[in-house]
Amino acid sequence: MPLLSLQNLTIALPPHADRPLAAEDVSLEVGRNQIVCIVGESGSGKSLTAHAIMGLLPRGVTAAGGKIVFDGVDLLKQSADAMRKRRGRDIAMIFQDPMAALNPVVAIGKQVTEQIRAHRAISQTEALNQAGELLGQMGLKNVGELLKAYPHQLSGGQRQRVMIAMALSLSPKLLIADEPTTALDVTTQAQILKLIKRIQAERDMSVLFITHDFGVVADMADSVAVMRYGKIVESGTTKEVLGSPAHDYTRALLAAVPKGEKYLPPSADTKALVQVSGLTKRFRRGGLFSRASVVTAVDQVSLTLCRGETLGVVGESGSGKSTLARCVIRLLDPDAGEVLLDGADIAHMKPGELRPLRRRIQMVFQDPFSSLNPRQTVGDIVTAGPRILGEDAGQARARATETLQLVGLKPECMDRFPHEFSGGQRQRIGLARALMLKPDVLIADEPVSALDVTVQAQVLKLLDDVRRQMNLAMLFITHDMRVAAEVCHRVMVMRHGKVVEEGPTRDIFARPSSDYTKALLAAIPGRQSL
Amino acid sequence: MNFLRRFFSRPTALLGFVVFAAIVVIALAAPLIFARGPFVIVGMPLLPPGAPSLPAGSDVLGRNMMVGLAYGARVSLLVGICATLCAAGMGVLLGSVAGYYGGLVDDLLMRVTEFFQIIPAFVLLMVLVAFLQPSLESAVIGIALISWPQVARVVRGEFLSLRSREFVEAARTLGMRDAAIIFTQILPNALPPIVVISSMMVGNAILAESALSFLGLGDPNLLSWGSMIEGARSAMWVAWWTTVLPGLSIMITVLALNLIGDGLNDALNPRRGR
Amino acid sequence: MKLRYIAMRLVKTVLVAIAVVLLSFFLIRLAPGDVATVMAGQAGYADEAYMKSLRAEYGLDQPMPVQLWKYVDQVAHGDLGLSYVRSQPVLTIIMERLPNTLLLDAFALVIAAVGGIWLGGTAARRPGSAVDNLTTVLAMLFYSVPQFWLGMMMMLVFAVWLNWLPPFGIETMGADYTGLARLGDVGLHILLPGMTLAFYFMASYARLTRTAMIEVAEQDFVKTARAKGISERQVARRHILRNALIPLITYAGLQASILVGGNVLVENVFSWPGVGTLAYEAVSSRDNPLLLGIFIVTAILVSLFNLITDIAYSIVDPRVELGQ
Repeated sequence: MPLLSLQNLTIALPPHADRPLAAEDVSLEVGRNQIVCIVGESGSGKSLTAHAIMGLLPRGVTAAGGKIVFDGVDLLKQSADAMRKRRGRDIAMIFQDPMAALNPVVAIGKQVTEQIRAHRAISQTEALNQAGELLGQMGLKNVGELLKAYPHQLSGGQRQRVMIAMALSLSPKLLIADEPTTALDVTTQAQILKLIKRIQAERDMSVLFITHDFGVVADMADSVAVMRYGKIVESGTTKEVLGSPAHDYTRALLAAVPKGEKYLPPSADTKALVQVSGLTKRFRRGGLFSRASVVTAVDQVSLTLCRGETLGVVGESGSGKSTLARCVIRLLDPDAGEVLLDGADIAHMKPGELRPLRRRIQMVFQDPFSSLNPRQTVGDIVTAGPRILGEDAGQARARATETLQLVGLKPECMDRFPHEFSGGQRQRIGLARALMLKPDVLIADEPVSALDVTVQAQVLKLLDDVRRQMNLAMLFITHDMRVAAEVCHRVMVMRHGKVVEEGPTRDIFARPSSDYTKALLAAIPGRQSL
Repeated sequence: MNFLRRFFSRPTALLGFVVFAAIVVIALAAPLIFARGPFVIVGMPLLPPGAPSLPAGSDVLGRNMMVGLAYGARVSLLVGICATLCAAGMGVLLGSVAGYYGGLVDDLLMRVTEFFQIIPAFVLLMVLVAFLQPSLESAVIGIALISWPQVARVVRGEFLSLRSREFVEAARTLGMRDAAIIFTQILPNALPPIVVISSMMVGNAILAESALSFLGLGDPNLLSWGSMIEGARSAMWVAWWTTVLPGLSIMITVLALNLIGDGLNDALNPRRGR
Repeated sequence: MKLRYIAMRLVKTVLVAIAVVLLSFFLIRLAPGDVATVMAGQAGYADEAYMKSLRAEYGLDQPMPVQLWKYVDQVAHGDLGLSYVRSQPVLTIIMERLPNTLLLDAFALVIAAVGGIWLGGTAARRPGSAVDNLTTVLAMLFYSVPQFWLGMMMMLVFAVWLNWLPPFGIETMGADYTGLARLGDVGLHILLPGMTLAFYFMASYARLTRTAMIEVAEQDFVKTARAKGISERQVARRHILRNALIPLITYAGLQASILVGGNVLVENVFSWPGVGTLAYEAVSSRDNPLLLGIFIVTAILVSLFNLITDIAYSIVDPRVELGQ
C-alpha cells in the first residue's frame, strides 16, 4: 500500500478568484521510501495540493472532493485536533522562502524545540540537546551559537537547513517540500538538494517535492507528475516521463528548459562599442553616529562589448552584477573607472551632457510587476522616451504600433494598463519601451528570472531575434548558467564584485579554469540527466 | 471608473458620503434659509426642542439652536477644508522633495517633523492662535501648521520607496528630468495614501477647531459648534440639548469623514481579492 | 555600544530643549501685547507710566538678545524663572502639577492599551465577522468624538444623572483623606477623566492591533508554526501577537507628546489640576515664563519617553539595532 494516495482530490477557490478550482480530480501516489515530484508552472495548483495534504489551506480555500489517504487514513475526514497532532510528527513540510518561514523575533533554538515539545513531553534542556544534534546532522557548524541566534543573522542556506532540521525532528514518514530551493543561490540550491537526498536515504522517508524546474526532477525524483491548470496531465517514473513524454505540455516544458547547448560563437566584429575599465562602486552604510561600513559591490571590473554580440554576466546574489549594469547605464555613479561608449566616457559626464546619449543605451528590467508604471497606459509608457527627445506624439504612436508588433503584441494593447497583462507580456512591453529609442546597446537585467519556463523560452528567443535584427550590443545579466549558455556569445563570471573568469561561452562551459566556475557548473540541476 | 464603483459598494463609505454631502448642503444653504443669522434672539432662553419654530430648542440667550447648528457647520467645514488643503499642500511639497532627493534636505525635514512631534501640538496651537489673535484665519493657519508634518512624513515615506522602483529607474534611463519624474511617475502612485490621510485630517481639523472655540480661542464674531458648547456649560445640567446637539453635530460630521477616509483606503488599495 | 547610543540620545534631548527654548521664546515675544497689557487690563489702569513701570519690573524693556541670554543662562542653572501671575518659581509650579497629569496619563494609557489590544485582537481573530464589524464601528465612533464633549457627557451621565462618581477635581475638597482612603478618593476621581482620555486612544490601539494581527497572520512563518503541529493558542500568542506588538510600541511612543501637556481639554472639563490647565492659564494670561517652562519640561519628558520606547523596540525586535 502506498504511503500517501491522493484520490480524485478537488480543491475549490473562494468566489472572487480568477478560476473556480485550484486542483481538479488530482490522483497521485507516493510510495514508501520514494521521492515524488510534482512539476508545473505558476497557477498549476501544485502548491495548494501540497498544502491540502497538511491541512494548511488558506482561508476560503477548501478541499471540495476526493480523498487524501495517508497510511490508510483519510486525512480529509480527520478532526482538526487529530490533524494537528499529525502535523510535524507524521507529515512535515518545508516552504520556499526560509527567511519568511521563520519567526523573526524568536531564537532559532526555541523554534526548533517548540516543534519537538509540541509532540513529546520532554524538558527544554533535553529538547535543546536534540535540536543541537539535528542541526549538526544537517551540516551546520557552531551549533551552540546558532541555537541562540535569530533568523536574520543566518544566511539563506543556513536557514533552509534549520527548516529541514525542524521538519525532521520527529522523524516523520513523509516530508513535503514546496519549492524549497527556489529562493536560494545556485550553489546553495545544489547543497540543499544533496542534503534532502541524503536524509531521505538515511531515514527511509518519503518526499513529495514541488518544483517548477525539470532539472531538479531529473536529479531527485523517482517518479513525477506534471500539473497544469489544476489537472495532472502526465505521470509516471522519471525515466518514462523525461525519456518519452506523452503529453504535448510535458514536451513543451522539457523543450523550454535551457539546456545550454547553443554555445554561440563570439562575433566577428572586433571593434568594441562599449569599453568598461576599472569600474568600481562602493556603498557606505551607517550615518553620523554609528560606525560606517563600506561594501565594495563592484571591484575593478573591465569588459568590452561589440555590436551584434551578447555578453553574459553570471553571478549569484551579492556578486555585483546588477550594480555593474546600473553603473554602465549611469543609474548609479561609479566611484572609479570609465565607461566608454564609442570613445566617450559616460561614467563621469554631467547630466546635461549625458542626456542626449541616454538613448543609445537602454535597459530591460527584472521584475515585470514593478518595471511598468501601473497608472500609465502601455501607449504612454512606450512613447515616453521618444516624446522626451522631442518626437511628435502622433509619430511616436505610429512607431509604437510597429515596435509592439515586433515584440509580439497587438496594437490594441496601447490603451490598456499594465495590470491587464501577464508577466511575459509585460516584459515584452518593457522591451518595446527600450527599443523605441533605437538604442545601440541593450542591457537586460535578469529579464526572465521572474517568468515561467515556457514563457522564459519565448522571451529569450525574442531577445535574441531582436539583437540580430537591430544589430544590438547586449549585456545580459543572469544568475542561471543555463540561460547564459542559451543566448550569450561570451560569458563573464562574477563573484563578490570581481571578475572570476571570462571568455567564449563554449570555452567557459567545457573547460572552466576557476574553481568557482566549476562549482557553478556542477550546481546546475539536471546537468547530467537532461 | 473602477475605483468609484469600489468606493460606493461599501455601505459605510456610502453612508459617510451621503451624510457629509447633507452637511455641506446645510452649510451652504444656511444664509439662504436662516437669513437673519444665528445671533438673533427669537424667544425665551432654554426652551426644549420639539416646537415647530424651534426644532432644536433655544440656547442660554434665547437664540434658535437650529440656526446655530447650521451656521456652525459653515465654520467647521470652512476651517476643516482650508486647513487641510494648506497642510496637505505644504506636506506634499516638502515631503516629496525630501523623499526624492534624500540627503541634507531629508535630514532637515526629519528634524523639523521631530520637533513638531516633541512639542505638545495642542498647546502650540493655542499659543499660535493666541499670538495671531483668535480668528478664522488664525485657526486655519494654526491647525495647518501643526498638521503638515504628518502629511510630509507619509509623503516622504512613499517617495522613498517609490524612488527605487524599477519603473522610476526606467524613466531615468529614458532621460526624463527630475521634475517630470516626480510629477508624472511618482506622485500619481503616491496619491492613495495622501488622499486617505487628507480626508482624515479634515475630521481632525474640525475637532481641533471645536476645541479651540470651546476654550474661547475661536473667532469671536462667529458662532461655531465648539463655542455653542462652551456657552452652554452652565446650563448643561438642566438643558441637555444645548450641549448634546452641537456635540453630536461635530461627532456625526467627523464620523462621516472618517468613514469616507476608510472607504477611500479600501477602494484605492484593493489588496484583498486580487 | 548601547551606552554610547543612550548617552548620545540624552545629548540630543538637551539640544532639542535648547531649540525649543529659542523658538518658543521668539514665538511668544512676537505676540502682540504682553503681560503688562494683560495686567493693566485686569487692574483697570491703562496709563503709560504704570505700564512702563510694570515692564521695567519684568525686564521687558531690555533689548531682545539681552532678554534671551538672561533666560538661557537662567535655565542652564535649573531656574525656569518666576511666573508673572503667581510670583512663584515656574519650576515649582510645574512640578506641583506634573504628577497629577502623569497619573492621569498613565491611567488612561494602561486602559487604552489593554482595552484596545483586546478589542483589536478579538476583531482580528475573525475578520469580516459581526464581531469585527462591530469593533470597527466602535473604534470609528471613538475616533470621531470631540474629547471635551465626551467628557462633559460622561460627567452628565455618571456624575449628575447617576451620581456614581465625582465630577470635578482630583480629590474631595476639604475632606483631608490620608493613606488608603486618599488612594480610594483619588481613584474615584480619576475614573471619569481617565476613561474620557482612554476612549480615543483605545480606538487607535484597536485599529492598529487588528491591522497588525491580520497582516502578521498572513505571513509564512505562521504557516510554519501550524505545520509544526503546535496548538492554535500558542500560534496566536507566541507567533502572531509577539510580532504584532512591534508596531504598537512605536505608536505608544507617539502618544507621549499628545498626552504630556496635550490633554488640556480633558483637564479643563474636569478641573483636573494638571499641566494642561496650567498651560491654558499661561496662554490666557500671557504668562511667558510659565509657558516657556511648560514647553521645556514637556519637551524633555517627551524626548526621554521616546528614548525609552526606542529601547523597548530594540528589545522586542532583535532585528533592530539601536542607532540605525
